[in-house]
Amino acid sequence: MNPPLLQARGLQKTFRLRSGPLARSVDHVAVDAIDLDLAPRERIGIVGESGSGKSTLGRLLLGLTPPSAGEVRFDGVAHADRRPGDWKAFRRQTSLVQQNPLSALNPQMTIGQQVAEAVWVHRLADRHGARDQAAAMLEKVGLSAELMDRFPHQMSGGQRQRVVIARALVLSPRLVVFDEAVSALDVSVQAQVVAILRSLWQQLDLAYVFITHDLRIVRHLVDRIAVLYLGRVVETGDIRSVYARPRHPYTRALLSSVPSLDPRVRNVAPPVQGDLDPGKAARGCAFRSRCPLAIERCASETPRLRRIDQGHVACHRAEDVRPLPMATAEVA
Amino acid sequence: MSHLLAVRGLVVQAPARGLKIIDGIDLSLDRGETLGLVGESGCGKSMTCYAIAGALPRGIARTGGSITLQDDADGGTGSPAKPSVAMIFQDPTSSLNPVHTIGHYLESALYRHQGLRGNDARLEAMRLLERVGIDRAKSRLRAYPHQFSGGMNQRVMIAHALAAKPRLLIADEPTTALDVTTQAQILYLLEELRAETGMALLIVSHDLGVIARLADRAAVMYCGKIVETAPIGALLERPAHPYARALIDCMPTIDPDDLEPPTPIAGSVPLLDNLPAGCHFHPRCDRGGRDCVSAYPAPARIGPGHAASCYHPVRP
Ligand SMILES: Nc1ncnc2c1ncn2[C@@H]1O[C@H](COP(=O)(O)OP(=O)(O)OP(=O)(O)O)[C@@H](O)[C@H]1O
Ligand SMILES: Nc1ncnc2c1ncn2[C@@H]1O[C@H](COP(=O)(O)OP(=O)(O)OP(=O)(O)O)[C@@H](O)[C@H]1O
Ligand code: SF4
Ligand SMILES: [Mg+2]
Ligand SMILES: [Mg+2]
Repeated sequence: MNPPLLQARGLQKTFRLRSGPLARSVDHVAVDAIDLDLAPRERIGIVGESGSGKSTLGRLLLGLTPPSAGEVRFDGVAHADRRPGDWKAFRRQTSLVQQNPLSALNPQMTIGQQVAEAVWVHRLADRHGARDQAAAMLEKVGLSAELMDRFPHQMSGGQRQRVVIARALVLSPRLVVFDEAVSALDVSVQAQVVAILRSLWQQLDLAYVFITHDLRIVRHLVDRIAVLYLGRVVETGDIRSVYARPRHPYTRALLSSVPSLDPRVRNVAPPVQGDLDPGKAARGCAFRSRCPLAIERCASETPRLRRIDQGHVACHRAEDVRPLPMATAEVA
Repeated sequence: MSHLLAVRGLVVQAPARGLKIIDGIDLSLDRGETLGLVGESGCGKSMTCYAIAGALPRGIARTGGSITLQDDADGGTGSPAKPSVAMIFQDPTSSLNPVHTIGHYLESALYRHQGLRGNDARLEAMRLLERVGIDRAKSRLRAYPHQFSGGMNQRVMIAHALAAKPRLLIADEPTTALDVTTQAQILYLLEELRAETGMALLIVSHDLGVIARLADRAAVMYCGKIVETAPIGALLERPAHPYARALIDCMPTIDPDDLEPPTPIAGSVPLLDNLPAGCHFHPRCDRGGRDCVSAYPAPARIGPGHAASCYHPVRP
């Protein structure tokens, strides 16, 4: 197996929250004890509900925010050991596609300028060369050179999204974190962007972390998936096996919440009640208040990730999680 | 019996720019029925909702057609009152006023719609919150929207809509900003409330999965026009308009056997000020012929309650 491009160990991020000037501050653990390995050209999906810590994890991986504990290594070098000069080289090899891509573009610059800027700030080409590289990259995402001189407001949402992707990929980074890169788009535009990302990945030496709460899209874009619940990985494994046979009750609930296109499957009771509840107790499974399988042990003992089949699951009752009813079998 | 809602030839324009945002659409909705409205961003779904709710934004006006709301079944007092319409929106947290408590928000709606005040209003607000699945309702009345999650705020919006005792509830992308788990909860709640109150539901989404879960019938919009209407089963299994079929084909699923990535639709949605002549979909259509550029196709019957505006509808 290839040595990891990216390696995270015991990653933790705690935010100190204060609800008012006189209130006592409380620590909120947004990311908790996460280990993650990513090989060159590997693609991992991070899914979970809003507030589960996905964006925070993405920022930690790219060294955009320091961890409260644990470390991240890129090419074997820990972020904490990197000298200021080395950060520049790291930044050139990585990029982040932000959660709200439509506002990520500068309204006053043409799209050609914005993609080219990424090249010449790193002094990798003169302005002419940068413009050529930008044109080539825009071509790869399906935007013709005639669009180079347009401003963002003159483009559709899908076109702007492709510009953001072109800008993130123009320096041929080895690692990209896509944070909800398609969530704000129409299904038809999502399908375009998925096709583009799949074909770009074929052509490039690119590993990526794809953060999303959309379980339908992510399976076409990644090799592995990690499911986060309140900052912890509760299940991780190969994308196909997790979808075919989720082993954590939360993963199963997420997957069975996705509406199917079968009009005979109607008025289905929601698989889980309630929201994420960050006021979790220090001990026990954080999901237990919403879990249909919870038993006493779930309150007294925190489940650790353990190997089941090909994946890893943090649940005392993983063996008792029923397979999802197959949509096709159900109808027959 | 007439329809609860009948929209005929509705035209909505931004008069300053002369653009037809909605170009002559027909819709009907019966009591207790759920109609889904689906289409890509910018096709006019929200404007249709605003027009029906009588709440078009400033600078945009209805310039043609009619919208008739009628509920003969209402009251039984002989004089049919105009049935009330309520609406909920995509982004609940930003639709709520941050300076007012949840209680203030609900109680003022209860005063406006039902004349309730003081303790009566408070008790009814608590009952509504409980009904939409918010526990500890009494203390929650004193909370502010920013203290709630997006899902909880959408429940508050639904409680607020219920205060109007609507005969028609319009839900414009009610779950687009929410997690799938919360989406499943909210859709289930909407269906329960519809069954309980007998109100009709107009649900708008660009996600056919959401429409499939609730709607009895669906209308597919493209560039300000309705291109196909059908019972939901017929639409999903036998779409007739190439655009409707393309929308279905670009829906990803979680079915482990469905390994192919979704198929994108060629090209992109045209701008309103640059609509293609004839069928507006023809530049993106894989079935188009020479006739498609001539004139806009009239709706043609496909089956019971099923019509499509296309010269070359897909036949099963
Ligand atoms: N800068 C910050 N200060 C304080 N708390 C924060 C900060 N950033 C994130 N948090 C908290 O950390 C938790 C995780 O947030 P994060 O944004 O990583 O979640 P997410 O999974 O990306 O959610 P979403 O799907 O809504 O984007 C949340 O409870 C959030 O409120
Ligand atoms: N104030 C305005 N003046 C002129 N045109 C407008 C105005 N507001 C909206 N439009 C146009 O009206 C059309 C329909 O908009 P509408 O919001 O109804 O679309 P939608 O189908 O709800 O889209 P979405 O899925 O993005 O919510 C769009 O093309 C939009 O650009
Ligand atoms: S550990 Fe217990 S509470 Fe947690 S997911 Fe498993 S069964 Fe549910
Ligand atoms: Mg996030
Ligand atoms: Mg809208």
